[in-house]
Amino acid sequence: MIHHLKALWKFRHFLMALVKLDLRQRYRRSVLGIGWSLLNPIAMTVVFTVVFSSLLGNGDPITYAASVLTGMAIWGFLRDSALNGCRCFMANEAYIRQSPIPYTVYTLRTVLGQAIHSMIALAVVTVMIAIFHSNVLVLARIFYILPGLVLILMAAWGATTIAAFATVYFHDTQHLLEVAAQILFFLTPIMYTRKLLDDKQLGWLVDVNPIYWLLELTRTPLLTGHVPTLQMYVAGGAVAAALVGLAAGTVAWLQKRVIFHL
Amino acid sequence: MAKIDVQDASIVFNVRQNRQVSLKEYIVKGLFRRSINPEVTIHALSNINLNAKDGDRVGIIGHNGAGKTTLLKMLAGIYPPTEGTCCVEGKICSLFDITLGFEQDATGWENIAYRSYLQGVSPSVLREKIKSIGEFSELGEFLTLPVRNYSAGMRMRLAFSIATAAEPEVLLIDEVLAAGDMAFQVKARTRMRELMSAARLMVLVSHDLNTIREVCNRALWLKRGKVVREGPSAEVVQAYMDDVAVRTKARQSRQSGELENAAA
Repeated sequence: MIHHLKALWKFRHFLMALVKLDLRQRYRRSVLGIGWSLLNPIAMTVVFTVVFSSLLGNGDPITYAASVLTGMAIWGFLRDSALNGCRCFMANEAYIRQSPIPYTVYTLRTVLGQAIHSMIALAVVTVMIAIFHSNVLVLARIFYILPGLVLILMAAWGATTIAAFATVYFHDTQHLLEVAAQILFFLTPIMYTRKLLDDKQLGWLVDVNPIYWLLELTRTPLLTGHVPTLQMYVAGGAVAAALVGLAAGTVAWLQKRVIFHL
Repeated sequence: MAKIDVQDASIVFNVRQNRQVSLKEYIVKGLFRRSINPEVTIHALSNINLNAKDGDRVGIIGHNGAGKTTLLKMLAGIYPPTEGTCCVEGKICSLFDITLGFEQDATGWENIAYRSYLQGVSPSVLREKIKSIGEFSELGEFLTLPVRNYSAGMRMRLAFSIATAAEPEVLLIDEVLAAGDMAFQVKARTRMRELMSAARLMVLVSHDLNTIREVCNRALWLKRGKVVREGPSAEVVQAYMDDVAVRTKARQSRQSGELENAAA
């Protein structure tokens, strides 16, 4: 394990250079640059707000929009990390066949690229809330959510790594994951609030949803300014630790075999 | 000090006939116990022993598919041995598959940086070296263009320039590389010779038996993943050539025998 981390540190320049390249590629491909890639979450939020804010929200479209956009940013990060993770080893196959460097470099390439991308969306939300409340102090809330973001990053790395290794053995992993993501999206309070389910005695659906606990570490503090309770940190931390543990186990188990199946 | 210590190393792995399975198929197969996509076991290397130390120049010969490249990749650490141990001490530089894995949308300069980082070079060292790598490739202004637009020869030049810029202790080479046009080939050969003499330890895979005899002091003859013979390069090369001659003769006489039978 220590050996693995040491090797990872040795190749940090390689990793960071590729992450930088990926981001540049992503934003250069279109005239609108960063704006274009934010278009999807923003467009979705607008649609949701227009259609659902009176139905599922508390009647205040701005609060609803901010809540949806935050949720979409975090959710999109987790989903896209895992989905892109499926292609991760195939995309880096030429490097893998040339140099014996830790596989984590490639999964981190996927995750870090997505993370920076999602941070931009989160920054947009924060600025939006600050403008709406005409309160610059809202911007300080970004510090409340830092521990939560770290946990989410860890969870995303875990999911990406597991997806990457699984795809080498089962090539339909990405397809199955897309189906699972679609289901999870509707099971997670992103476009509706938790209260809606609680009223129907369906709160347990949310309690057993690991995504919800990760989401709540960032969304509520960002929107309301309340610091998450210790219990929430424990729940979110447990989810992240479980995913990282599973991923580390997968790496240890398969890192010496996966090359024969690429 | 550079050292190679391979003990009783084997590489055996299973592949599916139809490349990969889907999870769906895996579950269905589990339910009905009927395989439409059987596993095939591949013995890429069997019980290889190899010891080399500073100053050794080891040549590896054998037919295509004998496991030469697999052995080289095992020494490079890319294929882990499934049995036995493979221990290589010293900074490794491997020259195989070097034209693969360029970032297509990045420029030549950027790719020099990526490749160098992949070899473990730090940014400060790279700053000193990057100019001479670019100059050696003679690609000039093309280096500011994306690699996507390069011809095969240009890629080869760039890859060769980056790969040979390292100062390795253990040098692993698959075939002598024919890089670019005539003028560049002369340059490349000089660079190769410099590299070979600078490296403490070298393992060379080649079909050019004369090169093996000249450059290497030891040789290893592989056949279907097994070592047939190991020893001083002249002896092993001679034995290999004799074997090839005997087989060719046998094939010829068999063919002519068949011809005579057909005529009669």
